[in-house]
Amino acid sequence: MTFEDTDFRQETLDLENPFDVKLVKDFLATLGFEFDPDDVECTMIVYNLKGDLVGTGSHKGRILKYVAVGPKFRDTTAFALIVTYLTEKLLKIFKHTFVFTRPGNSLPFTGLGFTEIARAEPLYALLEFGFESVKTYQDYLKSLKANANTDNVATLVVNCNPFTNGHKFLIEKASSENEIVYLFVVEEDLSAFPFSVRWELIRKGISHLKNVVMVRGGMYIVSGSIFPAYFLKNEIVSEVMKKQAELDVRIFADYVVPVLDIKRRYAGTEYSDKTTEAYNLAMKTILPDAGVEIVEVLRKAIGTDADNNPNYISASKVRLAIKEDRLADVAEFLPDSTRDYLLSDVSLPVREKIKQGTGRH
Amino acid sequence: MKPKIAAQSGTFESSDVIFLIEPMADNSGRKLEISSTVMQQFGESFHNIVTEMLDSYNLTDIHLIAKDKGALEPTIKARLETAIKRSMDQQEGTLK
Repeated sequence: MTFEDTDFRQETLDLENPFDVKLVKDFLATLGFEFDPDDVECTMIVYNLKGDLVGTGSHKGRILKYVAVGPKFRDTTAFALIVTYLTEKLLKIFKHTFVFTRPGNSLPFTGLGFTEIARAEPLYALLEFGFESVKTYQDYLKSLKANANTDNVATLVVNCNPFTNGHKFLIEKASSENEIVYLFVVEEDLSAFPFSVRWELIRKGISHLKNVVMVRGGMYIVSGSIFPAYFLKNEIVSEVMKKQAELDVRIFADYVVPVLDIKRRYAGTEYSDKTTEAYNLAMKTILPDAGVEIVEVLRKAIGTDADNNPNYISASKVRLAIKEDRLADVAEFLPDSTRDYLLSDVSLPVREKIKQGTGRH
Repeated sequence: MKPKIAAQSGTFESSDVIFLIEPMADNSGRKLEISSTVMQQFGESFHNIVTEMLDSYNLTDIHLIAKDKGALEPTIKARLETAIKRSMDQQEGTLK
């Protein structure tokens, strides 16, 4: 007969210490995880008095990562112990926590009280737990909902980093073709232009459009938690990126579309950016089943470029121009609100940041 | 009265019940989110226990989340009392 040794001890690791990192790395390698210490903020381990490493768990921001328990200890409380430790810590800081895991591992988390909100087979299931949930976001959406007499309800999701005439053109087009337009603005502050600035520039730039409702993207619309690949510079369309995009669009289809009765989604055609391309692909596979028609609008161009191709308006060209100190070249790309902002001293810190930055955002 | 801070009681591994409590704005009322594995049979009595307890502490503006795994009444009460006292910042020592 074997006794269950439940005298578990827990300890947080020093991620600066190579021995600590190696301990977890080797343990996780046997379970098929590749542990990257730069990918986490804090790592804890559980061990017993015989010195066996029982399990480990980490987090980065509000996301639980690398939660794993050795096969010998799967019938013990170790898994729950790790999750309790992490959520207790995180719920003191955040309103709620997320877990990304393989769909096959979703059950142990739902057993602990987590709620699965979306999955993208075979890579990801997304679960959440805490004071707030996707329902809180749905309540926010309900509070903004405008009464529509027809089915002409459309939506756009924009980052507007920064707001250009291309965005303005797209929003104006959607506004003229529909009764109500919900304009989702990506809230994650991982872009060169902070959310508050992007929001203000858009608000000023579209104040003449009375049927456009601006909506905060929150944690569910192209957020750094769910769709981190969006904020990285990606040259190729990877499976990970595709599945993250799928997860994001699925949340949109399952939780946003029914609340706001959305029938159409507008998107600019993408000609260079692989991430947005993957995102648009995910939209085309998922949204029609949710009753949402996708309207792709050819990007607006002003004149032609050096190779005689249309000179498409793009926010990345604007950022490049800022970086190279030739703002005048893109003056035609910018609506008044953005131009005034970029020419004023208020935007100095943002411009400096772009000049020093190297990333896509 | 209303809670001062967000608080939690119970753990996942004890498999009885876990409570989360957070303050709400004045006069926004109670927001109870109770989920239980025995909702069908004991959902109503669970709800009553929670309501009575909140009444006795005179808590009106509160957001409470309960994830129950079939805890018995004394356990529910003890967990909830702990959560309430923590949220009102009345716990001392290691229980805090």
